[in-house]
This record gives sequence, C-alpha cells and structure tokens, in this order.
Amino acid sequence: MKTVYWLQGGGCGGDTYSLLSSDFMDVSELFTTLDLKLLWHPSLCSIDPAAHERLLTDIASGTTPLDILMVEGSIIFGPAGTGMFDTFRGRAKKELCHTLASHARYVVAVGTCAAFGGFGAGHAIEATGLQFTKKKKGGALGREFVSGSGMPVINLAGCPCHHDVIAGALMAVASDVPLELDRFQRPLEWYNTMVHQGCTRNEYHEYRVEESDFGEMGCLFFHMGCAGPLVPGPCNKLLWNRHSSKPRAGVPCFGCTSPDFPKSNPFFHTPNIEGIPLELPKGVNRAHYMVYKGMAAEAAPERLKKRSAKV
Amino acid sequence: MSSETKKIDIPFNRVEGDLEVKVDVTDDTITDAWSCGTMYRGFEAMMTGRGPLDGLVITPRICGICSLTHLNAAAVALDRIAQVTLPDNAIRLRNVALMAETIQSDLRQAVLMYMADFTNHKAYQKHPLFKEAVARYQMLSGSSVVEVIRKTKRLIEIIAIIGGQWPHTSFMVPGGVTSIPYVPKLMQSRLIFNRFLEWYEKKVLGCTIARWQAVTTRKELAQWFEERPEHRDSEVGFFIRFAEKAGLDTYGRGNDHFLCFGNFPLPKDTAVTPRVPGTDQLTTPGFFRGTEYLALDAANIKEDITCSWFEQKPVVSHPFDSVTRPYASGNMGKPYSWVKAPRYDGLPAETGPLAEAVMDRVPLFLDLIRNTGATALVRQLARITRPARLLPDMGTWIDELLAHHADPFYTPVKTIPDGQGAGMIQAARGALGHWVTIENSKISNYQVITPTAWNGSPRDGQNQPGPWESALKGTPVKDPDNPVEAGHVIRSFDPCMVCAVHIVKNEK
Ligand code: SF4
Repeated sequence: MKTVYWLQGGGCGGDTYSLLSSDFMDVSELFTTLDLKLLWHPSLCSIDPAAHERLLTDIASGTTPLDILMVEGSIIFGPAGTGMFDTFRGRAKKELCHTLASHARYVVAVGTCAAFGGFGAGHAIEATGLQFTKKKKGGALGREFVSGSGMPVINLAGCPCHHDVIAGALMAVASDVPLELDRFQRPLEWYNTMVHQGCTRNEYHEYRVEESDFGEMGCLFFHMGCAGPLVPGPCNKLLWNRHSSKPRAGVPCFGCTSPDFPKSNPFFHTPNIEGIPLELPKGVNRAHYMVYKGMAAEAAPERLKKRSAKV
Repeated sequence: MSSETKKIDIPFNRVEGDLEVKVDVTDDTITDAWSCGTMYRGFEAMMTGRGPLDGLVITPRICGICSLTHLNAAAVALDRIAQVTLPDNAIRLRNVALMAETIQSDLRQAVLMYMADFTNHKAYQKHPLFKEAVARYQMLSGSSVVEVIRKTKRLIEIIAIIGGQWPHTSFMVPGGVTSIPYVPKLMQSRLIFNRFLEWYEKKVLGCTIARWQAVTTRKELAQWFEERPEHRDSEVGFFIRFAEKAGLDTYGRGNDHFLCFGNFPLPKDTAVTPRVPGTDQLTTPGFFRGTEYLALDAANIKEDITCSWFEQKPVVSHPFDSVTRPYASGNMGKPYSWVKAPRYDGLPAETGPLAEAVMDRVPLFLDLIRNTGATALVRQLARITRPARLLPDMGTWIDELLAHHADPFYTPVKTIPDGQGAGMIQAARGALGHWVTIENSKISNYQVITPTAWNGSPRDGQNQPGPWESALKGTPVKDPDNPVEAGHVIRSFDPCMVCAVHIVKNEK
C-alpha cells in the first residue's frame, strides 16, 4: 500500500474537480485498484483536525512514509516573502509544502498554478510553482530539488489539468513506471501532443479559412487567439468529460499548459503583423509559413470557403 | 456552578481553500464566533488594465466548483455594457449548463461534504444510524459517495457538450454563446439528462419529483415519511432521520434575512414559467427581511471592511466604487479575515438554496421556517432538494433547444464600449455579483462579491456578525476537540473560501 497526501495551496480546486471526471476509472476505484491510501485531501478526507495534526507530525518524523505528494494550487510567498497570505493554523503553507516535499518519494504538481505559479505569479501574492516561476526554474522547492525517487517535480500543466492526465500520472508513479519529462518537466506522454492535434477545425486551419467572430465556422488561430498550434496538451486527443474540447465548441485554446499562462495580452485576440500571427505554430519557419499559407488560402475548397463543413 | 468560557479554533476541511473559525464555548454551547478566511489570492491585479473580454477567461478560475457561474456573471456584465439582446437559444444554452453545474454541486456538497460528517466516529459511534451512515458516506468508498461521483460526472457531460469542457470553459460571450451543439449531441444531452433524473428520483428523493413537490408542510413531510420505505431509505429520507436524531433541527439558525439575485432569464419563446409571476427570470430576485419581501435594489449593496484585512477609504462602499488593497502589515487589532463584509441595506444577509426557496415562496420551506426557524437541517434540506425544482425546467429547455436548433445562438458584438455593468446571478451557494467598469477599452475596475462573502462575512462597522457567525451562537459543542456540530452549521451554508477571498488590486 502506498500513501498519498494532497496539498491545496493557492488554487481554485479546479484540478480536484477535473479529477472527479476521471472516467477509465472513477477516483474511488482508481485508489483501490492502485492500492493507494489517501492520507489527506481537503475535500475527499474526513479526519478531524487533531488527527490531521498528528498525521503531519508523523510524516515529518518519518513514522508515516509519504510515497506521493500531490500539490494543487500555487505556493504563495506574499506579502514580502512571509507566506502569510495563505496560512494553516497560523503558519505559512509554504513551510508545510517544504516539509512534505522533503519526505515524499514523488512530488507531483497538479495544474498550472502548482507547476508554474499560474495566475498569482508576478502579482501581489508572489505565487510560484513548485519548481518553476513561469518559465524560470527555481520555484518554491529550488532548481536542484529531487524527491526520494530521484525525480524532480512532475509538472501536470493545465488550467485545470486534464482528468486523464492526473489519473495517468498517478498510475505511473504508483507503479514506478518512469516518466520522461520535457524541459518544463511535463511528462512527454501527454505533453508531446499539441492541443491543435485532433481539433475538428484542422481542415479549416490547413486552408487558412479563418473565424473572425464567434459562431462562424473556421479556424480560431488567426484572429480569435487560439493557442492550439502553440502549446502542448491532449485536450483534442483525449477530449474533456468524454465529449469535447474548447476549440471544438468554438472557444479558443488559451494556452493554459504553458508556463507563461496567463499571458498579459487580451484573450480572444491573436496578436499579428498584417494578418500573420506573431507566434507561429511550434517549430515552423516564418518565411515558409507565409508562402505556404498564401498558397493554401488560394487552394481552399469551396465547401470550406463557404464554411459549410461542420466542425 | 460557575461557567467558564473556552476559546477554540476550528480549522475546516472539505472547504475550497481555507477557513478557520474561532468560537467561545460556555457550558458546552457556542456563545460567540469569528469566521476567518485565511487565504488571499488577489485576482483583481490580473483584471485591471486587461482586455474587456478577459474576465470571461480569468474569473472562472476564481473557483473550480462554480467556474461556469463566474463565467455567466462575467458574460452578463458584458451583455449589459454592450446592451445586446440575446437570442433565445443562447439563453437556453447558458441556463442548461448553469443548471447542470448547480445540480452537481448540490449533490456533491450534500454527500461528499455534508453527510461525510455523519461518519465522524468520535461524535456518532453511538448514533443508531451510525453504521449505515458509514456504509453510505465513508469517503471514497461509501455506496452513496461512489454513486454521486459517478452520476454527477455524467451530468457534467452536458456542460462539455455545450461548452467544450468542465471546469473552466469560456463558451459564454457577450451576445450569446460560441456555438450550438449538433443535433445528435443535443439528443445525447437529453438522454444523459433522463438517466440522471431517473437516478435522482429513485435514489435521492425516493419518489417522483411530482410526489415530492406535493409535500408542502411539515405535517405532510411526516406523512411522506411513513408512506413508503423508499422514502425513508432515500438520501433525503436518511438525511432527515440522521439529522433529527443528531439534533440538527434545533440549532444553526441564521439571522432570517434572505438575499437572492434571481437566476435563469427566460427566453421570449418558452414553456417555462417563472416561480413568482411577473418576473422575467425563473428564480426570483429579492430581499426578505424577517417578514416582508422587498424588491432587489442593487444600490443597496455595500461592502464593509471594518474587520477585514484591507485598506480602503471609505470603509463602506458600493462595489462599483470599491478600491481595495490588502493589509500587508500585522493584524492591527480589529481585522480578522480576508473576507469582506457585504451588507444589503446595512444588514447581513443569508444567501443560498434556502434563500432561493424562501424567495420563490416554496410552501414546505416557508412552513419549516415558521416552525423551527432556518436551522442547519432546513438549510441543508433546501440544498439537497433544489434539483427537484430545477430538473423539470432543465428538461424543457433541452427539448426546446432540439426543436429550435437551427435558430441563432449569438448576436454579434463588434466591440465592447466603455461603461459599467453588473452581472448578478445565483451560484450554487447563493448570490454572486460581478461589477465591471470598462474605460479606454480596458477593464479599469472589477469587483466580485461571492455567496460565501455574504454568508461567511466577518463583523461590520456596526459590529453585526455575518450570517454563519450568528448561526453558530447557541450551537452545542459536546467535545471541544471534535466540534462536529459547528461543522454542521457552517457546512449548511456550503462554505467556499477560495471564492470568498476577496479580489483586490495589486499593490504595485
Ligand atoms: S481552432 Fe485552434 S486548435 Fe483548432 S485547428 Fe484552429 S488553431 Fe488548431
């Protein structure tokens, strides 16, 4: 039996609620099948305050081994590095995070806030991720941190993180299956796919048939601020809640798996020079892209130009 | 015998974010209470100076449980600023999604958060229903817990079909919604809905919705109980049996002021009728002051920061005028919470499913309140039975979407003009408002007042306690190390501290 402690920092609980949609196995079944004991989760445990205190002491003294630490929400350092914007019984939560992480075999950052700081990074609350602040390595635990297993923090980016990714990562660490990570420590199994892959608007993208207001059929990349071709994530491959994804429903991808999410430029708008997006699909050469897209638009079939193809 | 007052600090779990309550206990009864939000997330810094539509993406992240409700409030505020009329289909799609979010929240709250406390070994091992409570509500393994996780997850699929994903989508935009689902997907939604409805009737109510709605008084509730074993065995039946034995009908009474912003605007062409004739929304906006119903006047809403860790002058202001900064330096005596104290016409007000029931004049709840007051039991009963009031209309709107699927769902809004607008709706936990000011095509002020800010507010300049601070007074505490009764009271308000933590400006 392996143990799990779920720490909630400065977050909205969205990752927990995402996990509740896990489908291949329900959350409860997942824990039983993997033989995991959930020592603590702020919403899914009901031990009383005194027992929780004892549990924390036992983890800190090594009496209770901690196999997996899951952290949801950013680590709050404000005001002025004190962490007093987020306390547990009068103590800064960041201290608690430190203690738990130093005893854990695996440390998993669930969601973009825990991974990179998310919404509070660079703001008054001085939020950081566990091992990154936005793109900068370091974060709450420091750049050199490795957990008991020798792995650095595993970053399950996403706002919220996709339910299948959280469940999948739990399966992997519970069974000591090695996970290969990218440079932002996101497991390649899920973050080596672009959000763009699998989008039902791909054909429109291919021929550069653009949506410029809500509800038009077309690709959302050129005007509506879709980050699908720019960021990794399995949203259009695994789908959400068994059915859909934001781009499929006409909502641009906001790039929430990226360390610099949320960017400061307005959402629903693509920054561009003369109609060509400033940021081009990952790995693409600008000159080639311009030529290719010009030709593609010329070659677009009527059914797409008329926007009659369903998305 | 002289009585001694003990001070206890109670940290709460199963709350989004962090809540600690300090209580004075004299002779095993709470004599005073202070509610303290211990986390501050400072969202407003992200809003000020951003693009006018950015609230649609950022504010859902205030709360993972009611992300869609924040989206809805943000979209309504922008609809108002743009002065746009929504197509009927947009209204239906928004309403159906919001209903799904509300219903899943009610059931998860009831079973995963509320009834979970019935498995508290130290407090209830001698309760005659303890064993059954454990079998039903043990975390992650109880039969009801497993079922609720499975059924609510399915219901949420309707939101994904409409909006792409849950939580945290942004499919509601000024002028309507971003797309209309295809007919087969709408039909799937209808089937998902049917299955959920069937389960809700069978397992949660133990009877049809129509039978439940025929229960209009406390006496009829007693008759309903005796009528069939299915009634007693349902979640509602079991809840009432356990709660009455535990005394939840004897404490937790709030201050009897109920506030509701109203919800679910009615399409022009619809078979759904408002709860109270004459309103253009399904559920009724208004303020109930002990005995009289008053029409909602948004100008009466003020925030008071006398006891909150914020700096602002004046200490009381309307949300459009609030300019707020966190105290970064020490306690300074009076303040004790990161939550502000919203007041309606100077009064603290309770909001949530019970307030909705009162405002909608649901006879059973008016009768229960007349008899026992708004106790923890009554408040929680209002929550677990609210889906019975929402589900029939949700079904009607799904059918209407199928019938009208070729009609528009979006009215183009080219740009958002400068101006001010408020999006005031009902979240699962009660009244939610977004107050937005756009200046020079940017957000210049964004203020949010959440339901938990109303219910869990600290004291104000008049020293009036917030609703659950009041409700805690008189609550028994048998074991100060395990104050489960205080938990029942606070949880009957369904606290959500993440969202209550006030949105404030970046100091820089
Ligand atoms: S809408 Fe976004 S994800 Fe879909 S094809 Fe266009 S760019 Fe790719």
